[in-house]
Amino acid sequence: MPDAPLQPFSAPSFVHLVAPSVGSLLGWFLVFILGCWAVYTLIAIYHWIRYSHNAAFALPAIATHLIVSLACVSYALSGTL
Amino acid sequence: MTPEFELEPGERVVLATRKHWFLFAIELLPYAVLALMPFIIPAFLLISPVLAPYASAISFTTPIGRVAVGVWLLVVWTGAWGSFTRYFLNLWVLTDRRIVDIKQRGYFNREVSSLLLSRVQDVTTDVVGLLPSMLGIGTIKVQSAGADEEFRMPGIPNPEHMRDTILGLVAQHTGASQPQTDGL
Repeated sequence: MPDAPLQPFSAPSFVHLVAPSVGSLLGWFLVFILGCWAVYTLIAIYHWIRYSHNAAFALPAIATHLIVSLACVSYALSGTL
Repeated sequence: MTPEFELEPGERVVLATRKHWFLFAIELLPYAVLALMPFIIPAFLLISPVLAPYASAISFTTPIGRVAVGVWLLVVWTGAWGSFTRYFLNLWVLTDRRIVDIKQRGYFNREVSSLLLSRVQDVTTDVVGLLPSMLGIGTIKVQSAGADEEFRMPGIPNPEHMRDTILGLVAQHTGASQPQTDGL
């Protein structure tokens, strides 16, 4: 049995190429969330336009949703990934 | 008007109402609490000396912190807006010939039912509790002839006015005693 001190384990070099960084993971997470948000928003807008019976409230409601959502997304992206 | 609810020739809308705004505000309360959580939790952690070091972990200056808070607010806002959408698309319409109940239970889950005024036998209002009495929130039950189930409108504002309007229109119908040819 060799009595040399244990060397710390180091991962093979290719792992660094394959393993995603925190930044890219966050990026994919954001893409996933925004995708879900976009689908949900499209469905909701469809219902507003289809079933609100030409209510004058439909367009302001949709615009408010888009503006507030844009503010939230802008805040989320305001840090550098 | 969309094909789900088209007025017959000569038919006019007398009244259209949604649930009382107070009930919608109560529905929004959980969303407001959830939206404030990222800002309240650090303040609560600072109260306890044991948990105080963890307060600095929730930082809005780091990229991850900003992404987390931004995504959190986006999800909460979208949920609240969805709730408003359902509130707005739920509607009771009273025309001079029928009552139309439009129920938007969820997305792609919609029910539209009509009750002809000529079939109305009994209209009951139900206002229960201190707050509903003060704000004028109640339930209207409309019993129709020959129908097993009654037409219910819960949480509507000023139910007495709605009841009186329905009864007035029913009286007009009874006086006219003309057969109704419309129907949904």
